[in-house]
Amino acid sequence: MTIALIAGSGMAGRAAALTLRRVGWTGEIVLVGDDSEYPYDRPPLSKSVVIGTADMNKVIKPAPEVYEQEAIDLRRGVTVTGADATAKTAELSDGSTVAWDALVLATGCAPRQLPIPGLDLPGVYRVTRLDEALEIQAVLATGPKHLAIIGGGFIGMEVAAAAVAAGHTATVLEAAPEPMSRPLGLEVAERVLQWATDRGVVVRAGVGVEQVSGDDIATGVRLVGGEEIDADLVIVAVGQTPRLELAQQLGCEEVVGGIKVDAGMRTSVADVYAVGDIAAFPSTWADEDRIRVEHAAVAIGHGQVAAEQIATGEGRYDDLPSFWSDQGDITLNVVGVTRPDDEIVWRGDQALPACTAFYLREGTMRAAFSVSDMKTLRGVRKLFAAGVSPTREQLADPAVDLAALAAAG
Amino acid sequence: MTQVSIGSLSDFPEGTPTRVEADGTALCIVRVGDTIHAICDDCPHAEASLSEGDFLADDMAIECPLHGSAFNLTTGDPDCPPATEAVEVFTVTVDGDSVLVDV
Repeated sequence: MTIALIAGSGMAGRAAALTLRRVGWTGEIVLVGDDSEYPYDRPPLSKSVVIGTADMNKVIKPAPEVYEQEAIDLRRGVTVTGADATAKTAELSDGSTVAWDALVLATGCAPRQLPIPGLDLPGVYRVTRLDEALEIQAVLATGPKHLAIIGGGFIGMEVAAAAVAAGHTATVLEAAPEPMSRPLGLEVAERVLQWATDRGVVVRAGVGVEQVSGDDIATGVRLVGGEEIDADLVIVAVGQTPRLELAQQLGCEEVVGGIKVDAGMRTSVADVYAVGDIAAFPSTWADEDRIRVEHAAVAIGHGQVAAEQIATGEGRYDDLPSFWSDQGDITLNVVGVTRPDDEIVWRGDQALPACTAFYLREGTMRAAFSVSDMKTLRGVRKLFAAGVSPTREQLADPAVDLAALAAAG
Repeated sequence: MTQVSIGSLSDFPEGTPTRVEADGTALCIVRVGDTIHAICDDCPHAEASLSEGDFLADDMAIECPLHGSAFNLTTGDPDCPPATEAVEVFTVTVDGDSVLVDV
């Protein structure tokens, strides 16, 4: 019997397991995850889950019985504690040893640790796991609250926007002077930030947090300089770091802070694959030799390709990278690979909640940002697929049909 | 599997997605000529109602209004991320003017 061991039951690991069965692979599948919950979608955690509007059947999916039906040996609350690339064995925290033929590393990220006191007080939460998001949900369900959110990235801003839309108040504390400017570029980030602040989210940028205040329970945070921000709950969303220990133990080559893989998600070690957050993968759409992306759609695509490779020896990942973020009542969609210093071209004089911006590098379109304009976004995808980059004037003119430009070549 | 009447042909304007509840299942209905297509109205990716999206005649697909994946009306397959799962496709029978769906 051939055995595929999947280390990590997040979105990439789950996709790998389900895809192996979908393509008809008949070997044994062991899916190991440190989360005690059944595998779930992570994007809703910072959005509908924290404010209690999520349909949990669409968050925890597939339905738990699917693992048995598909003969996937899902081990919840278990980690792979060690692995040997030569003997092709792995030790699990449940005391068992698995002899694998293929090993998929889907270990994801660990939340970044802030070097400040008070983080272990009750009333301090993270949003990285479902149980944590449900804890926040339980607190918010008891009445209007004030949230102090440390970290003004997408996750922190999503929680703030969702909470404010649900009748709470939120102050976001961000160390960088321009929140979200790294993924979105300054000009676009400013518009998104303005949208959030217009809806009541308080954003304090360029501030340092000295400590979480409180004796027995968190009562707020103290900023560098002494200012106290009172809060009913404190949420820490300061990013994450890839968990590479297992890959390192196996001797996998590293690059750009991740595990180097080819387009088939193969690491430098035979029969070992790396997928999702930890994978440094080649992409036609990037300038760099390898990129690492921490977004759901990419993680799922990686898992699918690793599974196809295991089952058939074929399959390449080269999707146009994309991600989305819900900021309260608007949904941002980004396709392509942005850089903070890209030139921004807006389409017409549109403004939020419906607008599109293009990211140009040396005059060539490399990415697009859009809210509520699916037609333009679809046109952009077609342009990328056709390898066509319109002129600035064409992109800026809402009357120009981008899909038609793509079709014309 | 039960066959449920969801109305008559004239209830469904050409190329305009319409949300219909059939025996507790939310469907997104699209009429193309005299053919009626029915897919699950819930986007398999996130919380969106596909009937609020656009019908893409060239692709014979419904585009999710939130994130832009377009679902083929015949196969249910999405054409691009973020959706990765197919949406359920339902069998439709047009009997005279009456439209029946197997749910």
